[in-house]
Amino acid sequence: MSDFLLWSSWWIPFYGLLGALFTLPWSLGIIRRSGPRPAAYINLVMTAIAFFHGSFAFWHSWGHPPQQLIFQWLQVADLNLTLTIQQSPISLGALELVAGISLLVQIYALGYLEKDWSLARFYGLMGLFEAALSGIAISDSLLLSYGLLEILTLSTYLLVGFWYAQPLVVTAARDAFLTKRVGDIILLMGLVALSSDGAGLSFSQLETWAATAPLPPGSAALLGLALIAGPTGKCAQFPLNLWLDEAMEGPNPAGIMRNSIVVAAGAYVLIQLQPVFTLSPVSSDALILIGTVTAIGASLMAIAQIDIKRTLSHATSAYLGLVFIAVGLGHVDIALLLLFSHAIAKALLFMSIGAVILGTSTQNITEMGGLGRKLPATTTAFVIGAAGQVALLPLGMFWTLKRWLSGTWLIPPWLLIVLCFVNALGALNLTRVFRLVFLGPTQLKTRRVAAALWPMAIPMWLLTIVVLLAPSVPLNWRFWLSRQAPLADVGQWTTAWGLLLLVAAGLLGCWLGFALELQRAAARPTQKSLRFLQDLLAYDFYIARVYDFTVVWLVSATSSLAAWCDRYVIDGAVNLVGLATIFGGNTLKYNASGQSQFYILTILLGVALLLWLVFNGDWDLLFDAWRSLAAH
Amino acid sequence: MLSVLIWGPFGGALALALLPADWSPARFRQIALAIASLMLLWTLAIAWQFDPAPATWQFSESLAWLPPLGLRYSLGLDGLSFPLICLNSLLTVIAIYSSAVERSRPRFYYLLLLLLSGSVAGAFLARDLLLFFLFYELEIVPLYFLIAIWGGQRRGYAAMKFLLYTAISGILVLASFLGVVWLTAADSFAYDPQLAQTLPLTTQLLLLLPLLVGLLIKIPIFPFHTWLPDAHVEASTPVSVLLAGVLLKLGTYGLLRFGIGLFLDAWVAIAPWLATLAAISALYGALSAIAQQDMKKVVAYSSIAHMAYILLAAAASTPLSLTAAVFQMVSHGLISALLFLLVGVVYAKTGSRDVTVLRGLLNPERGLPLVGSLTILAAMASAGIPGMVGFIAEFMVFRGSFPLFKIQTLWCMVGTGLTAVYFLLMINRVFFGRLPETLANLPRVQWQERLPAVVLTLLIVIFGVQPGWMVRWSEPQMTVLVVSPDLQASTQAVSSWKSQAVRFAAGSAPPLPVEDF
Repeated sequence: MSDFLLWSSWWIPFYGLLGALFTLPWSLGIIRRSGPRPAAYINLVMTAIAFFHGSFAFWHSWGHPPQQLIFQWLQVADLNLTLTIQQSPISLGALELVAGISLLVQIYALGYLEKDWSLARFYGLMGLFEAALSGIAISDSLLLSYGLLEILTLSTYLLVGFWYAQPLVVTAARDAFLTKRVGDIILLMGLVALSSDGAGLSFSQLETWAATAPLPPGSAALLGLALIAGPTGKCAQFPLNLWLDEAMEGPNPAGIMRNSIVVAAGAYVLIQLQPVFTLSPVSSDALILIGTVTAIGASLMAIAQIDIKRTLSHATSAYLGLVFIAVGLGHVDIALLLLFSHAIAKALLFMSIGAVILGTSTQNITEMGGLGRKLPATTTAFVIGAAGQVALLPLGMFWTLKRWLSGTWLIPPWLLIVLCFVNALGALNLTRVFRLVFLGPTQLKTRRVAAALWPMAIPMWLLTIVVLLAPSVPLNWRFWLSRQAPLADVGQWTTAWGLLLLVAAGLLGCWLGFALELQRAAARPTQKSLRFLQDLLAYDFYIARVYDFTVVWLVSATSSLAAWCDRYVIDGAVNLVGLATIFGGNTLKYNASGQSQFYILTILLGVALLLWLVFNGDWDLLFDAWRSLAAH
Repeated sequence: MLSVLIWGPFGGALALALLPADWSPARFRQIALAIASLMLLWTLAIAWQFDPAPATWQFSESLAWLPPLGLRYSLGLDGLSFPLICLNSLLTVIAIYSSAVERSRPRFYYLLLLLLSGSVAGAFLARDLLLFFLFYELEIVPLYFLIAIWGGQRRGYAAMKFLLYTAISGILVLASFLGVVWLTAADSFAYDPQLAQTLPLTTQLLLLLPLLVGLLIKIPIFPFHTWLPDAHVEASTPVSVLLAGVLLKLGTYGLLRFGIGLFLDAWVAIAPWLATLAAISALYGALSAIAQQDMKKVVAYSSIAHMAYILLAAAASTPLSLTAAVFQMVSHGLISALLFLLVGVVYAKTGSRDVTVLRGLLNPERGLPLVGSLTILAAMASAGIPGMVGFIAEFMVFRGSFPLFKIQTLWCMVGTGLTAVYFLLMINRVFFGRLPETLANLPRVQWQERLPAVVLTLLIVIFGVQPGWMVRWSEPQMTVLVVSPDLQASTQAVSSWKSQAVRFAAGSAPPLPVEDF
């Protein structure tokens, strides 16, 4: 029985898919009488089944060696596509994380979207979301993961565009889709190239292929970059980072998923691809560069935001930047641990602010204040989530970073600086938000706030407990997945002082967050230089503006040019030919005058012309014949 | 067996012509629908007996027709034509089913639709060059009338443009066929892959060129494409469905059957140019689609871009890419038919296809929610989201062409990326946003109008999840298509991928430009 449950864990993603399909009668309006609630319950039941099935499989996977299930999908000519499923403690653990957070989020959404008229559609999309995510968790094939990432792109588009009647939502959904799509297409290019080069597309085959591939350095570098592009879009890394921030226009429960596990899905694929990045130093350098730029840039952007969701979503990019750095350095275990710790803490933070948003009907933190006394559970959740996120108190992130700095990994000094920077700014940001939202006097919008509904409160409590228990994962991590051997050398100064510096940075951030003067009503400083700095950060370094003037301009200009060319040059030429024909015909018709003399003249001229053509150059012949005729 | 697919619709058309003209339009529609459904069932019966494995002609029929001219009425079905025949039968049913019941001159309309279907089937089944040409020309006539009589405002212009373009296309194809038979001194027009093999390469090139231009007009490929957007915009929905779904495939079918089948050496020689042309056409179509305001034009330009992938795959002419080419034909047939159907419903309900006018149609109570959802799905299928047929077809095209034409393939993939751009712009404008008051009281969409779209959607998803069910019909045939006949004679099932390599190595064709990846 238990073996069967482990073996059948490939079926778990289908629970979500089935749940999504079962919502169709309600979301299509075929069943109206019962309201949309039954669709939500069906999905909850399906996710719960997925969760328990997954728990069981996870539990049993510990005693078994990792195994692969290979499904033959398509075999054409020299192309052989298989879909591979990996059943190992790690993949099933990731599956469990997905199912667990999805279950909590779906309970949460019952409260958050209580009065929304298209609840069924929401649950259908969540089911699809969950199916794709859990599929990625257990997929061992780049092709399958790519496909599921694309489905994730699609469902992100639909979930961000859930309230499609609002103009900001429409642009946010479009940008989310197109930004990710850029990454996805480049990833697909890499996929096609890999497959053409004879690499099998399962991750384990790629690993052996990467060890033996005779690829020229240029190709290896391009290939690596192409494969990085997909996760860069998914994980909202520079330069494809802006969609996550805009996507905050969507409903909050989807935001919880997006900021915790959806971004992690991209990084998870990246981690599995890590052996390919060792082919070329360019790709690992690119990973480190992208990660560093995003970690620093997004941390800076976060502290200038006044939208409560955006403050947190930029921080998501920053932490995913750390994951990119870890993958670039080959520290695969740390990357996984970072994903786990971040996902859980971030999910809790988003649940907490969801309750705030629903209670106050605003997302602007300068309009909030004094919620700490009114919403104790929400406040606790925020504090614990924040503590789990920042390496200060001994919770998830602290232990994860401690493991990174434990001496088994080579930590270059710059990495320590980046870590301290991200930690300090993360602490500063969370403290700032905490003060603005939960402390201080109440304001107009926070005077009457109802406590969170029980469907929202229960998952919040549960997740709070999980965050408190989360340190056991980095503490008990027993794997060694990275390709380099562990360092035994503890002599690096970065490991000796690293943790201390990190905590000091966290403390500094908290202190700054408490010490800075917070302006509630007018959030813009009066000093010109400060204001410029704040605007620069608040508007995301004007990256969107840069896009407008480069990529967007290029595409729209070339498309207008193509359309113009189509209309006036190509079609114009065609029409000109047509016109010339008609004109020619019209002119010639005046020759048909009806006078017989004119026709005879034409005939004679024609005959003369014909004769001249026939005898041209041979006139002597004609004259000779004539002479001989005359002689007779 | 096969003649039924041609003479069934023709007979049906004749029967319709003999019926009294004052019958109600609904009755004519039912009769036409019955005939088309019978043909679909007949196609299924053929599918039951069709065996793709031997990669030869099956159900062959042959009759001497005009012996002095070398014209035989000879038909056959193989892995290349079989999927297209199925597509034709299916889309004919769908086109007739989705024709509005109330329309002017119903008898003539359905008669023309049946004629169109029969002649397209004839072109796909012909095993004789001249016979192919006859059906290829015959199909123009009903389509001309369908556009010119039941079209939109500028129908005269569009129909005339279509007629001129395709007539020239036909003449060029005929010229090439005549040239082949004349130069090889063959005694008939029977299709024979070895026919032109004896000719020198230059002669082959000279013969291939007119054929190519003729077929590129039909597909259509930039710069011969301008008839298509006009024809689509003016044609009524069922005609657009047939035009995009089946008729364009005549061009790509011709490329595979005659371009590669008759002139393999010459084809390989100009393949890099064709691949480049395909990339240009794909990008050009996609970029032009972004700037369009008419939903039908967006889909029409999207058609141009997607048909270009077939040219790319044909240019590469590896077994994989050729199988992919057939698959992409089917995929594009299903997806573009679905898109045109949905745009047709939007137009029928709102009276507009202008993306600057339409807004918020996804509104669940007063808008067109299901049509909107299906449009999103169709657009995603067209943009190549996995799980639907567009993805795997395009993946196979790219994967098959990439080893030979790296740069061109990558540019075509950029075109795929742009697909998402124009369809998203369209969806965002038309279906998202707030439903304006002017559009508030739309007529309800009947289930009858949704049914064909739902059927197509299901097919798109089924073949997207199980591409093997479609690919297996054509793969064996496509594998032997590119093996040159002398090789084919000695070893039946050599991987032609190797034979291609040999071909390049032997220097019988100019070497392909080598791009650094």
